[in-house]
Amino acid sequence: MTKKLNLTPYLFLAPALLVIGVFILYPIFAVVYYSFTDFNIVTPPVWTGLKNYTQLFQDDVFWLALRNSFIYLLVTPILIILCILLAIAVNRKLPGINAFRAIYYVPVISGSIAVGYAWRMLFDTNGLINGVLLSAGLLQEPIQWLAEPALTLPLAMSLTIWLGLGFYMMIFLAGLQNIPEELYDAALIDGCNAFQKHWNVSLPGLRPQIVFVAVISSLAAIEVFNEIYTLTGGLGGILNSGVTMVFYLWKQAFRLQHAGYASALAIVLLVITLLFSVFNIRSLERGSEQD
Amino acid sequence: MNQTHTAARPQPNVAARNAARKRRQITETIFWYALLLFIAAITILPLAWTLLTSLKGPNDAIFAVPLQLLPKDPTLDNYARVWKQLPVANFFINSIIVSVATTTLNVLFTALAAYPFAKMKFWGRDVIFYLLLATFIVPPQLTYIPGFVLARNVFQYYDTLLALIFPNLATVFNIFLLRQAFKSVPNDLIDAAKIDGASELRIWWQILLPVIRPSLATAAIITFVTSWNDFLWPSLMLPTMVNKTLPVGLAALQGMFASDLRATAAGIVMTIIPILILFIFLQRQFVRGMTGAVKG
Amino acid sequence: MNRKLQFRVSFSALAMLLVAAIFLAACGAPAAPPPQAPQVVKETVVVPQTVVAQQTVVAEKTVVVPQTVVAQQTVVVEPTAAPNPEAVIPNVEPNAEITLWTFWLSPTFDDYIKSTIARFQKAYPGVKVNWEDHQATFQDDLKNAFAAGKAPDVINLSVSEGWVSDYATKGLLLPLDDKVSQDVKDLYFPGLWNEQLVDGKNYQFPWYQGLSVELVNMKIYSDTAGLKLEDFPKTVDGLPALCKTIKEKTGTLCDIRLTTNDLLSQMVYEGGVKVISEDGKTFTFDSPEGVAWLQMYVDMVKAGTVDKSVLVTDQDRVGLDLFSSGNAAFYQTGPNLIREVRANNPGLYGYLAAVPAPVGKSGVLGKGLMSLSVKNDTKFPNASLALAQFFTNPQSMLEFSKQVAIYPSTPKSYEDPFFAAKPIAIEDSAKPIAKDIISKYADIVPTIPHKADVNDIVLQAVQAALFNNVPAQQALTDAVTKANALLAQ
Repeated sequence: MTKKLNLTPYLFLAPALLVIGVFILYPIFAVVYYSFTDFNIVTPPVWTGLKNYTQLFQDDVFWLALRNSFIYLLVTPILIILCILLAIAVNRKLPGINAFRAIYYVPVISGSIAVGYAWRMLFDTNGLINGVLLSAGLLQEPIQWLAEPALTLPLAMSLTIWLGLGFYMMIFLAGLQNIPEELYDAALIDGCNAFQKHWNVSLPGLRPQIVFVAVISSLAAIEVFNEIYTLTGGLGGILNSGVTMVFYLWKQAFRLQHAGYASALAIVLLVITLLFSVFNIRSLERGSEQD
Repeated sequence: MNQTHTAARPQPNVAARNAARKRRQITETIFWYALLLFIAAITILPLAWTLLTSLKGPNDAIFAVPLQLLPKDPTLDNYARVWKQLPVANFFINSIIVSVATTTLNVLFTALAAYPFAKMKFWGRDVIFYLLLATFIVPPQLTYIPGFVLARNVFQYYDTLLALIFPNLATVFNIFLLRQAFKSVPNDLIDAAKIDGASELRIWWQILLPVIRPSLATAAIITFVTSWNDFLWPSLMLPTMVNKTLPVGLAALQGMFASDLRATAAGIVMTIIPILILFIFLQRQFVRGMTGAVKG
Repeated sequence: MNRKLQFRVSFSALAMLLVAAIFLAACGAPAAPPPQAPQVVKETVVVPQTVVAQQTVVAEKTVVVPQTVVAQQTVVVEPTAAPNPEAVIPNVEPNAEITLWTFWLSPTFDDYIKSTIARFQKAYPGVKVNWEDHQATFQDDLKNAFAAGKAPDVINLSVSEGWVSDYATKGLLLPLDDKVSQDVKDLYFPGLWNEQLVDGKNYQFPWYQGLSVELVNMKIYSDTAGLKLEDFPKTVDGLPALCKTIKEKTGTLCDIRLTTNDLLSQMVYEGGVKVISEDGKTFTFDSPEGVAWLQMYVDMVKAGTVDKSVLVTDQDRVGLDLFSSGNAAFYQTGPNLIREVRANNPGLYGYLAAVPAPVGKSGVLGKGLMSLSVKNDTKFPNASLALAQFFTNPQSMLEFSKQVAIYPSTPKSYEDPFFAAKPIAIEDSAKPIAKDIISKYADIVPTIPHKADVNDIVLQAVQAALFNNVPAQQALTDAVTKANALLAQ
């Protein structure tokens, strides 16, 4: 058969590729360029070579942001464990179970901004949490939740977990329902109790979902912004306790107008994300080769 | 090897054993309901409290010790105040315009792009695909600085809703998702249509899209929710109050009312209720869509 | 069958939602002009106070803007030969179109702003003014607008928070000294005209001023803690002891706020600190006075007598609202914000008292509050100058004062009988003494190069000392080193 240049595939690809080229590929190159300049977005960039990078590595707040971002990654294993358990819990034919599944989904669609501000009200010094704890006698004095540097990250992470519960639960639920009944029956006959049943049958069967959730939620953790913005009022927490990489990027670029410096930050973030994702996928896919 | 260890061994008290099992089942059921209710409470509590707070008048204490959860004198005053101070209707309309436009066009573009990856052979297919894979892990916030410059200099759509729609007209995630969906369509369907002389576009539009409808719904829902809740980029692009979308408007609202918790609560409730209603209507699609996202 | 039905239901739900939203926008929204256009004021309305002249009244075609209608009838006055006494800026560009941004004035002062714009347009016919108000997101919106090249021509900037020098040091504002005549400059209190100077140049028209008062919640202060108003500290260093007493007797925390956007300025006023050397080449805020100032706050935090989130918030509203919600004994603010307290918590208004705010070591009573600046690259400099000057002229400010307890920056306004009248409500209690106090306002802060970055460095140091057990001296000295490194670049 003669090889004719078939344009059709390219025509199909064109719109999407154009958009991605302009809005993702070009920016990567642009950011690499900006990272070697002094740029405040208003006036054209001025070349400064490696100055941003050397400044970056001497910047205490950068290292703090890096550390905070890594700590934030802990939401991923927590989410996986919690949501698998939750999925197991709702994977039964109790009447009204659909209502429960829907309720667990509400935080997902409410949006992180709305929920973030609701949480802010809850944890206010004169808020509900303090009110409950004081009423129950567990506290003598109200805790200033939002002003405690040690609590900033845990609060934000809890919010992220709370927001993601329903979403990831659904994914694991679908995965559970795809596991053939026979496997469970075999386990039952072998005398497995509930725990062993899930450990030996459910978990391996959920591997594709676990990979998916791990990748998605860890990317979301690295890119987290809304939770920090709402809980710290756009300030990043006392002593920068809530400053993560992306938050610091935003602050440098759009609050302090150091877009060149922020670009250097962005490049470092990109490299870290790349390494991390590769590591993530490799180590999880290795397990799924058994399936 | 005890496959039949429950074989006919004489059971002295069948009735008692049945009763015990029934009791265990009831206890189990109660246990599960209790657990589910507990988790549901944690899930709903913050929003429920926000709702109750939004209905309290100025003399209704929010933070009394001991707790006073229900409003003594429910009022819609706070909603009226928020409505008066801020163009909430505009926030809604802007969000709807952006989300609907983005979702429709995005799903269209990515469905178009996913088909060749799934079913066609062409030069550079794998290279381009891996390139797309690479861009998947790029944090979107990285693109905001050049995006800002593009919005200002090239596209000149700063302070308009177009600035929110354009960058999201295609997402790599949707391409992957729909590629999976296309892949699972049996080739005979396509071959049959080709024999009948249909063009690729025709095949795509009339035959394949209807078949992968659940995945399209998934992609649409995920894109819609993401677009609806997007905050950072819209906040950079929309300084004018009447142009803001819902999350950005909510941030402005919160800033305006700061510690006036009743008004802030009213604002929060106002932004959640509509999409909640939509969710209730489309619930089954939502759930099915979400679970369909991960197939191998 | 069922699925088709379901889809239909879903789509109709979505459609209904869309229609409902459009309906809402069309019918209900009080602030909803078409999504793209900012509020445009085009009609002319006669304001009762100014007597323009005995003119023939001609009713012309009126363009009604969907916003609140300011007056029942619209009256257009024929321009006469005699020049409008308020039109003091010459050579205003014909058909100029300029944008004005105000800070937190809407919707409370919608009528005032619009009527003033209308009066402005009578004085300078042909100038179109687009007005927007921004609140908590003002700074972010403004920075983004500058970055996008779409900044407003006339900008309401806070002098008390140090915004004018922020933007001026970046070259974004128009220097005014050689743009207006001496007559115009003489309209203002000299101390206010020379505020936020950068390298000796002024970038702002002084607008409405406030007086620093301490609003006191008598229920907590007097009834529960048993303190007397006369005993309220007259100087800033009396505050720690007061906070301790209040915490012990009532359990409430002090509502004190650091000006986190302009910490060096606060150091100068409160602590009498010399922050930078005479030649502007080295920072010196780690002096004993600087350390003493910081240590005062460190001690309060350690004693647990202040609300930590209010201390370092960048929004004045946060502190104000803590007070309005009845959870604080006192809060330092201006009488103009008593209005807000009253709106948020009418009950509190009943037991509100006001005393003059404590003075810092510098002895200077205060600096200015709000100003109007013009952006440097405006296409219509004269029109912008005219608008900024108009809003800050004696007549405009007198009218503003009659609406809310703010004070003009022009001595002439105080000659009006309004200021001689006896004060009735608590908001007016400062009226008789206002002129005297405001005439003494002065900006004693030197020009700070790289101000935004230096401030960030100082903020980090202050937070480290307050919350991370870093000794105040060390924190400040480290900050000086970092700031000096910035200067060296």
